[in-house]
Amino acid sequence: MNCVELQDSLAEVEDASTVEQRAHLMDCPACYALVRELDLIIEAAGRLQAADEPSPRVWNSITTALREEGLIRSQRATQPLVSSFSARWGAARWLVPAAAMLLVALGLYVKQQSAPRPIAEQAAVVAPMVKASDLNDDDLMQEVAVNSPAMKGQYEDNLRQVNDSIREAQGFVDESPNDADARRSLMDAYHQKSMLFEMAMDRALP
Amino acid sequence: MTEPRQRTNTELSEAEAIERAKLGDAEAFQALYDKHKRRVYSLCLRMTANTAEAEDLTQEAFLQLYRKIGTFRGESAFSTWLHRLSVNVVLMHLRKKSLPVVSLEETTQGTEEDSPKKDFGAEDVALAGSIDRLQLQRAVDSLPPGYRMIFVLHDVEGYEHNEIAKIAGCSIGNSKSQLHKARMKLRDLLKLNRAEKAGKSRAG
Repeated sequence: MNCVELQDSLAEVEDASTVEQRAHLMDCPACYALVRELDLIIEAAGRLQAADEPSPRVWNSITTALREEGLIRSQRATQPLVSSFSARWGAARWLVPAAAMLLVALGLYVKQQSAPRPIAEQAAVVAPMVKASDLNDDDLMQEVAVNSPAMKGQYEDNLRQVNDSIREAQGFVDESPNDADARRSLMDAYHQKSMLFEMAMDRALP
Repeated sequence: MTEPRQRTNTELSEAEAIERAKLGDAEAFQALYDKHKRRVYSLCLRMTANTAEAEDLTQEAFLQLYRKIGTFRGESAFSTWLHRLSVNVVLMHLRKKSLPVVSLEETTQGTEEDSPKKDFGAEDVALAGSIDRLQLQRAVDSLPPGYRMIFVLHDVEGYEHNEIAKIAGCSIGNSKSQLHKARMKLRDLLKLNRAEKAGKSRAG
């Protein structure tokens, strides 16, 4: 078996376990490296499963469609009716401007992205937003626990997942500040977080 | 259905959630969505390489799920049922876009362009250590749609070649051949990426 035959045979016997394949690999460092690299790719592929989080907007669209089709009972009808936003959210009224600020910051970032700017400057725009949004998680969860305990678990899950995504994306940005894809991933993660706040606000309103 | 209202959807078991969803319980629908959203969305995203399309397809997959949930009798695992449904939604979408679900060629030889590079003597960058998830994600996004679908179904989602052949309407041999070519192309893309990074760091 030569190198070309070995490569072709990997389509059929991918773990290179036949006698002919093993004999060739013993004598050929290049093919040995090839098989190892393919194994690395296969191993890494498993980590792509369930790796990404959909935006909260997806669930909002699904519930809207389900209600229109009459497939679900209205969620709000099953919750206690409240007289006003402030009565329901009390000290959490600040969340509306906070979410709005986050969205405005995102808008500014997008606008700045559209103008040609040095990559280092673009990366610097991302950094302050990290700190601003991190301040709100505990307060949000406290208010959800008080005002909407049935939703607490779901918000905790969503917040944890989105913060994990932010941490991971931030790691990539720290590692490669000039990497446009890494910065985009970070912005996507922050966008998801702002959508989560938006969704919380949407649910709070009567 | 005497579950206390305070119980969150994360505490709801899947079997309970399915039964309650059949009765139109919104919380049960959400519990099922929360449990499976990442896998369904990631599948859609990997196969389309487009965030907006992936979100639309995730929405469509879950809507179909909720419309059909009354017919789920538990003969197969719920997750298997949902993921097969999601794959069908994505395939329908790709076919509507007239994208090749798999390559038409049935041999294992392939075209010269598709065939893996056989430049054994060339100096290149080794893929040592583990492969970064984001880099692999980008490389998968760069694959031709046919290769990408087979790779995602087999190596990411864990489908067997006989299942892929049924889903995609191709032969088992074609599925194996496409997968091998997809992996070889990914290897090339990852090496290229590493070589570019190495070049940049040397220049910088």
